[in-house]
Parts: sequence; structure tokens; C-alpha cells
Amino acid sequence: MSQQSRTLPAPAQAVRNRRLLEALGAVSIAATFIFLVLTQPADITNGLASGSTLVALGGFLLGAILLIVGVLPTLPTSTLVLIPVALVLNIALGQIMGSTGLPFYFDAIGTVLIAVLAGPAAGAATGALSSVVWSFINPTVLPFAAGAALIGFLAGVAARYGLFRRFYLAPVAGFVTGILAGVVSAPIAAFVFGGTSGVGTGAIVSAFRAMGDTLLAAITKQALISDPMDKAIVFAVVAMLVYALPRRTALQFPFVRRFNVLAGKKQETPDA
Amino acid sequence: MPAPLNTAARLKTPAPLNPLTALAAAVATAAITTAVSSWAVSLTVALGCAALAVRAGVAGRLAPAAAVILAPFWLSLLVMHGLFFPEGRTVLAEWGAVRVTAEGLGFALDMGARTAAYVMVCLLFSFTVRVPDLVAVMSARRVPPQFGYVLASTLTLAPAITGRLVRIRQAQESRGLVLGGGPLPRLAAARLQMLPLVLALIQDAGERAQALESRGFNGTRARTSYRDVPDTAAQRGFRVLALLLAAAAVALRISGQWPGIPWPWGVQP
Repeated sequence: MSQQSRTLPAPAQAVRNRRLLEALGAVSIAATFIFLVLTQPADITNGLASGSTLVALGGFLLGAILLIVGVLPTLPTSTLVLIPVALVLNIALGQIMGSTGLPFYFDAIGTVLIAVLAGPAAGAATGALSSVVWSFINPTVLPFAAGAALIGFLAGVAARYGLFRRFYLAPVAGFVTGILAGVVSAPIAAFVFGGTSGVGTGAIVSAFRAMGDTLLAAITKQALISDPMDKAIVFAVVAMLVYALPRRTALQFPFVRRFNVLAGKKQETPDA
Repeated sequence: MPAPLNTAARLKTPAPLNPLTALAAAVATAAITTAVSSWAVSLTVALGCAALAVRAGVAGRLAPAAAVILAPFWLSLLVMHGLFFPEGRTVLAEWGAVRVTAEGLGFALDMGARTAAYVMVCLLFSFTVRVPDLVAVMSARRVPPQFGYVLASTLTLAPAITGRLVRIRQAQESRGLVLGGGPLPRLAAARLQMLPLVLALIQDAGERAQALESRGFNGTRARTSYRDVPDTAAQRGFRVLALLLAAAAVALRISGQWPGIPWPWGVQP
């Protein structure tokens, strides 16, 4: 898997265009989030303004698609062939957890695994692609593509800066990732669906609504309860998985070798 | 060139729908239904999708898939907004902190119908589209071939992985693995099944990568497709019209210029 690509490298102009697409994708997601928080409707007694729904859907989806188009062609084939494996893990575990009624998701194990082995860009692309492909089976996950991309990106950054070198630091990184992912995903749940799709998460939102919170505030608080715990467990499971892999397998990934992602003696690259 | 033997039959059969036409129709319907923002229109769209699914012969698969998604969602909406809706003014019933209000029930109906329409439109598309055709059409339009690979590979990999997980479980059980018991034994059992699965999948992926690399998969040049996906001028026109209508509806709704529609008998949909 560590072999060099046998195809010609992309020209500099194409690389610049892809960087521009990635930047535009990130700007689209950030701008949509800020717009939604600033313009959230104060009165929802006559239904949610569908303008907010359309902005949330359009802005977050556009950002996710730009990220996919920008990142996907840059990934080496060894990483690309792992993405379908990650997506199937996300879908299988996410559906099992969704049927339990517990306020957790567990739908990012594959995304975080790819991010740890192949880096933030691969993680972001895997997260966004996971939502797009999963939407063929469950369309309600499609609007959350931007949040899934953020989880993959942050997991890759955590791996890049050595948070997977100590087993106890991985859940901490997951906890922080969960806070940010929950804050980004809450406006989508509020403005696109008017609530959460799970019965367990719905019960928590109901409790906050009973205390008089607005819909966005209640869903954000629910996300801040569920997401950090969920991602802390997911990061710990992925840490367990990557350390259980034979070292030779884990070190086949250039990102793992280059940034010394896993604990242990630093390995020189084979072609150095 | 000799004429095909089944020309008469081909003339009677309508041209199959191009995947892009189906995609444009799904996107436009979902966008326009959301822009209209009326539970009556949403329910009509959802029922229309159900009728089309029956006609296409996919209702048997679509109905359980939609039920698995929508049943917990509707239940969640009913609990969230039907029982707790602080903005509600017209109280229908009250037990302590629980307040059933007309506005809360209306909100739950509105969001439930809107999501039902969205889910039905998307599932109808995904259950009727032929993925190889969709991938071929996207590749022909310069969509990165990696996207087509991931989409097609995931949809075919899922059943294979399920089968492999069953074989791993059987192999571990033959070595003495006992499923069940408390949380810790269950966790240990999950680890004993998950690790061989992930390891085998990564090993397989490595072999697949070498095969793809040796065939120039990551090359930037356009490839010749041997898959011919039919398209017609009428379908191309329909796609442009559908997307223009959707863009107009979205622009009108976001700009706040959406025209009010007079409904008969004073109904407020």
C-alpha cells in the first residue's frame, strides 16, 4: 500500500484550484452557520420559516460537496479504497445504535479510523462522503454532511498532533470534537427537521423545552450532552482498533509514518 | 448497418429515464416542496411518491425503509412538540409540565409532513436509479471518478461485509467465544469480532489499491466509457426546466417574496 503512485502528478494549476475549492467549502459551512444563528426565528408558532431550512440545506450541502470535489482527487489510491470500508462501518454501527433508543450515534467510527490513518483531509472527505452515500439508504443524514466532515477533519488534526499516542488522550480529543460537532449540527436538526430523529435524543430536547428553552437552544444543549460522550467513546474505540492492528499494517500509511501518529519508536520511511 | 430485429418493440417502449433526469426531478421536488412549506402539499408529494413507487415495483422495499426512518422521527416530534411547546397559546390539555397545545401539534404535523416528503422523494430516487448508469453518467460529466468508485463500491461492499462478519462470529464461537452476559463480556466479544473484520478489510483494501494503481486509476485523463446511457432532448429540456423552477422557488422563499396562495374553505395548510 505504501507504493508510489504510477500516474503523473497533477499540474500546479489543478492543485491551486483544489485548494480554492476546499477553502470555499469551509467558508460556505462557516457562513451558513453564522447566518443561521444570527437570523434564527424568534417565533415558531406558525411553523419554521422555510427560508432558514433552505439556507441550512443549501449552504451546508454546498460546503460538503466543494470539500469532496476538492479533496477526493488528491487522495492516494491506498486511502481511497479504505473509504468504502469506513462508510460501511459508519452505516452498520450507526444503524445498530439508532435502533437502541440510546442518545448516542456511533456513526463516525469509520470516519475517525480513516482520519487517524490518513490525515485530516481524508477524514473530512470521508465524513462528507459518508453522509452522501448513506443518504441513499437514509436521506435524513444528508444535511449533516458538513458536521461529519468537521468530525473527520478534527480527528485527523488530533492524530497529527499526537493525541493518539497516549490512550487516555484520545477520548479527550473526542470530547472536544464532539462539542464542536454538536454546535455545528444543532442548527441543521433545528431548522431542517424541527427536532432530532432519535427517540432518546428527542426526550432530552423535550426536557429542555419543558424548561422554556427555544428550539435551537434545547437542541444545542442536547447535542452538547450526547455528542461529546459519543465522540469520546468513538475515539477510544478507534484508538483500540489502530493499536490492535499489526504495526506493519498501520505503518503502511504515509500519514502515520510522517507524523509519528502512534506511540512507539519512530519509524523511518522505507524510501528515505 | 442491419436494422435491429426488435425495432417494433423498441418503438413502443418509452426511452428509459436518464439517471440525471431522475436526480433533477428529485432535487427540484424536494426544493419546491420545502419552499412551499405547506403540510398539505408535503403530504400530497409523499403520497405521489408512494404511488410512483407502486408503479415502479419498488413499494415493497421502499415502505419498510421509509417506516424505519419516519416512525421514530414522528414519535420524537410528537413527544417534543406535542407535549412541550412553550410558544403555544391554545392549550388543549395540561398535566403538570406537560402542555398539549394546538400550535405544538400543528408544528409537529408541519415538520413531520415536510420530512416525510423529503424522505419519500429521496428514497424513490435511490431505489429506482441504476447505480452503474449513474456512475457512468457522472464520469462522462467530469465528476471525479473517485466519487463513482466510492458510491458503487460502498453499495456493493455492505452485503459482503455482513456475510464476512457472520463467518468471523462462527469462527470465534468455534474457538469458545460466548455471546451474551454482562456489558464487559459483551464488549470483549465485540472486540473479538471487530478486530479480525477491520484487519481483513484493510488487508483487502491494500490489494485492491495495488490493482487499481496498476490500471492508472488516479490518472487525470478522461476515460472512454463502454456503458451507453440513453438520453433525449426532451429529458435535457426537462432537467433545465426543473432546476430553473426549483431555483426560482428557493429565491422567492429566501427573499421573502413568496406569493400567498388562497386556499378554499379558509383552510390553513
